[in-house]
Amino acid sequence: MIYELRHLTTYHYGKPVSFARCSLRLAPRLGPDQSVTDSELTITPTPARQESHIGPFGEVVLTATIETPHRELKILARSRVNVHRPLLPRPLNGPAWDAVRDQAFATTRLDVGSPAHFLYPTPMTALQPAITAYAAASFPPGRPVLEAAFDLTCRIRADFAYDPKSTEVSTPAIQAFEARRGVCQDFAHIMISGLRGLGLPAAYVSGYLRTIPAPGKARLEGADATHAWVNLWCGEALGWVGFDPTNGLVVAGDHIILAVGRDYADVAPIGGVVLGPGGQTIDVAVDVIPLEEQALRIG
Amino acid sequence: MPPERSALRVQPFLDSGAQARLRGWLDGYRPLAGVPDELVRPDGTTPEAWLRFLGALAAFPSGEFEDRFALATRHIRDSGVSHRIYGDDTERTWPLSPLPLILGEDEWARIAAGVEQRATLLEAVLNDVYGEGKLVAEGRLPAAAVTGSADFVRALRGVPPSGGRHMHLYAADLGRGPDGRWWVLDDRAQAPSGAGYALENRMVLSRAFPNLFNAMNVQRLAPFFSDFRAGLAASAHRSDPRICLLTPGPFSETYFEQAHLARYLGLLLVEGDDLVVRDGQAYIRTIAGLKRADVIWRRVDADFIDPLEMNSASQLGVPGLFEAIRAGGVVVSNMPGSGLIESRALLGFLPALSNHLLGEPLKLPNVATWWCGQPAERRIVEQQINSLAIARAFTGPGHPALARGPRMMSDLTPAEQADLRAAMNLRPLDFVGQEVVRLSTTPAWRDGALQPSPFVLRVYAAATPDGWKIMPGGFCRVSDQRDARAISMGEGAQATDVWVLSDQPVESISLLAHRDNVKVRRIMGHLPSRAADNLFWLGRYLERAEATLRLVRSLSTSLMDSDAALHASGETLCRLQALLIDWGAIDKEAGSRKVTEAACSALHDEAAYGSVVSLIRSARRTASSMRERLSEDFWKLLLNLESRLRNRQNDVLTEAESLARAEAALQTLATLSGLTQENMNRVAGWRFLDMGRRIERGVNTCRIVRQLAGPDATLDDLDLLLDLVDSQITYRSRYLEGIALTPVRDLTILDPFNPRSVAFQVETLKTHLAALPTLQDDGMPEEPSRQLIRLASLVETEDAAALGVPEILTFEQMLMTLSNAVSDRYFLQGSNATPTKKQGGLA
Repeated sequence: MIYELRHLTTYHYGKPVSFARCSLRLAPRLGPDQSVTDSELTITPTPARQESHIGPFGEVVLTATIETPHRELKILARSRVNVHRPLLPRPLNGPAWDAVRDQAFATTRLDVGSPAHFLYPTPMTALQPAITAYAAASFPPGRPVLEAAFDLTCRIRADFAYDPKSTEVSTPAIQAFEARRGVCQDFAHIMISGLRGLGLPAAYVSGYLRTIPAPGKARLEGADATHAWVNLWCGEALGWVGFDPTNGLVVAGDHIILAVGRDYADVAPIGGVVLGPGGQTIDVAVDVIPLEEQALRIG
Repeated sequence: MPPERSALRVQPFLDSGAQARLRGWLDGYRPLAGVPDELVRPDGTTPEAWLRFLGALAAFPSGEFEDRFALATRHIRDSGVSHRIYGDDTERTWPLSPLPLILGEDEWARIAAGVEQRATLLEAVLNDVYGEGKLVAEGRLPAAAVTGSADFVRALRGVPPSGGRHMHLYAADLGRGPDGRWWVLDDRAQAPSGAGYALENRMVLSRAFPNLFNAMNVQRLAPFFSDFRAGLAASAHRSDPRICLLTPGPFSETYFEQAHLARYLGLLLVEGDDLVVRDGQAYIRTIAGLKRADVIWRRVDADFIDPLEMNSASQLGVPGLFEAIRAGGVVVSNMPGSGLIESRALLGFLPALSNHLLGEPLKLPNVATWWCGQPAERRIVEQQINSLAIARAFTGPGHPALARGPRMMSDLTPAEQADLRAAMNLRPLDFVGQEVVRLSTTPAWRDGALQPSPFVLRVYAAATPDGWKIMPGGFCRVSDQRDARAISMGEGAQATDVWVLSDQPVESISLLAHRDNVKVRRIMGHLPSRAADNLFWLGRYLERAEATLRLVRSLSTSLMDSDAALHASGETLCRLQALLIDWGAIDKEAGSRKVTEAACSALHDEAAYGSVVSLIRSARRTASSMRERLSEDFWKLLLNLESRLRNRQNDVLTEAESLARAEAALQTLATLSGLTQENMNRVAGWRFLDMGRRIERGVNTCRIVRQLAGPDATLDDLDLLLDLVDSQITYRSRYLEGIALTPVRDLTILDPFNPRSVAFQVETLKTHLAALPTLQDDGMPEEPSRQLIRLASLVETEDAAALGVPEILTFEQMLMTLSNAVSDRYFLQGSNATPTKKQGGLA
């Protein structure tokens, strides 16, 4: 499936800002099951200086310095992505999860895809005995790793309420866990904290999810949103497999990966924008347009 | 029967009293069973160096060596050598033991060789992990033993270390084991602390026992620091580089040490806000605009150092610093990420890595350590779980039972044990098992006797173009507990100096550079904006304190004066109290109470922001964040003044007492002001201190004159005014006719020859501003100058007869605006964040 992506972030400042420095992680990631044919980033006002480098987890990071006084900062990312991720064969099984864990401990890889990077807690996914215990219920000794992880994915979907008002972008996993509510970011953090508590390598994935408009309705422009889910390393043979605890899904062709990291802080799409002295508001508009749909609209 | 430990044989010159003292000390000393000791060898003998040292102490008349040491310690306390415990506002004094750790030349050579080898090895490991990654790929180091460290900075993988190496300073914590051999307990590579304390300890001991120090051929520390500085300088691209010490700020536990090192090494002490990255290079914000920073020696942890790429919540770092490192525009040392090698998980791999990378075994063994992330090692730890210490594999929060260091299972409660076992089972990779090292002991002086105390020695290595140099000495901590497995400065430990003896007499060397290498310069670079800000406010606080003290003095005198009817007329007193209320020295309530109480509050009430004690505290706080710029005498006086003013608000003072206190405090302030006038270089820093003082004095004079020399002013009012602005004598010698309104206003406001007048402050301010650098070379005055010129022309042309309260109020307001303009132009939040504008073209 080929997608056209449009991700527009607009900062409105109460008072003019004369200097801003930001780092942007908005270019979709290349991967074995996802290719990017086109990607561009437009910043208004035009930065005085831009530099890009590859970040710690393989993502393209663009750092921009803006020295023009402005009251509005617009960051528009557009790209075209081809997702060709196969469906996992059912029933879900794979190697025993405890064996996967020992493989991860012993890995001799240190490239960006190495499970070794994703074994340890982070401030947003601190180890929490309560979360580990919650996750452990899905992981009795010897259970096939895919089956166990999918079970946990479905339990989170069933046990937690989707509630955008209950958490913020900086909420750590334990807080959402105790409240039993949150958004995709929180569910991903909870699942990651639980999996790492068991010694499994789990990664945070930010990206987009294709939304299917209601029958007979046109897709609303800008109505899509960024999404987050979990990648679990399932042994050398299977590699990384995505689980979406918000929707109770194993990740396949509808998920488009933007970036992968240890938690949200590693992949935050925009970092370091200076807080304006007069307060600020942020608007985000995302469009995920499957290409055949666009062809239809144009036709 | 043990062989005789006779001091007499080697110390025949001691008199009988000294011999008795020495014998008493030695006979009373009981080493711990089975633990090696520095003073008493396994065969019962005492090393000759110790006998010489103790003999010399014993040669002082009874009690004198303690007195000498107490004096030196007081010197430390007075100069504010202390280390701060996080969250504490007041600095805690720092305990120092009078007895150094004494090491002979041979033994030291072995330690130095071992530390040098280890520094070389760890640098090679860092080089590989952040570079080629062969150690992991070849299976010599598990990937998960690397990634568990919070200091594994992924963002800098593949980036060549700035300045050509990861570490410029490395430290190893050593302990002496049961067999008498030295062991490495821990590695310090993030930002090793304590070297400055070592320097300070040395200063104190050499001050307390100067002759002894020379007679024993103690090796000097200065060459090491000189080498370290040279190493930093050599890593820069420019030949005369600007080197900064990046500090987390005055709330850091080791801020004093950082300030001390910055001053000793001649580095610029900066905080994150002082630096800015532009176009791949780092700059310091100075009063002359942005100036290149070539080398940043950091004491800020890697996680906090660049909020754009590391912890985004950090306020301590420099946004974009990693970008500058990648661009090769700045040397940051130690390279962020060096802290990786502090992980205990790595300890177990080092013996093999030494053989592999260096082709030789470790000269100093480290504590045998098994990382539980590997199945075989995990089994070993499980089998010996009760005889090993369990520790966190990586720095960071870790399991709560291990938060304060390695623990024996048997030292934990059953519930803690069960919890720890379960955690080790779930995530073995977070734990290591370690052989238990019992530390050997060295004598410490406690309760008038020598007592064996376990110790840890931190040894420093500095990278220089000629290889690693090892500090002949170190930072030694002795525990006050008899069984020490972990020593923290926070928990009752003392620090001691470390004496490495030389077989040859030691040449007297200090940090004097070779004559031919020193370029003569008279100005130490550009003043950083933050320092300018602090100096300016220090000046303002001190001047405000002085003005408040004068008010208190007048208040007290008015009550005592035999001429009370004249002086203490109700109305004048009310005006005086109104002034005190007006600038926050007392609250309204205190103002309505008895005059003696009002005077006492104005001096000591810590709740009133404008009381003398509050102003001096603000001055001390401001001064504490630029300790490296103030002389020790200045700091001592300030601390002393604050402590005299504190905790006195409950005393009910008589007017005589308040007067005496105000007088004493005024004298101290006069001394402080004298110190700055006589001893501070007439460079930008002094100008900012003086500008703060001048603006404050001008504003205060305006206020006092408005209050006491209004249209309805009485003779008493004017008399008091002349007292307050210290112009009584001038006036009386000039106007024999007596006190009148117009001449008083002229003398206090317009007279440019009276150093207390507003006109004089304005004149002085003009000189200061004219001497400061400008950002543009187009010859146009900058905003502060523009405002000052306007004010000066008003003051200079004002006619005394026409001068009224509205005009004085205008001067006062213009001075306040000038203060804001100075802050906008020169300080951190100001316009100096932009590079210097060059107009170009030929003049």
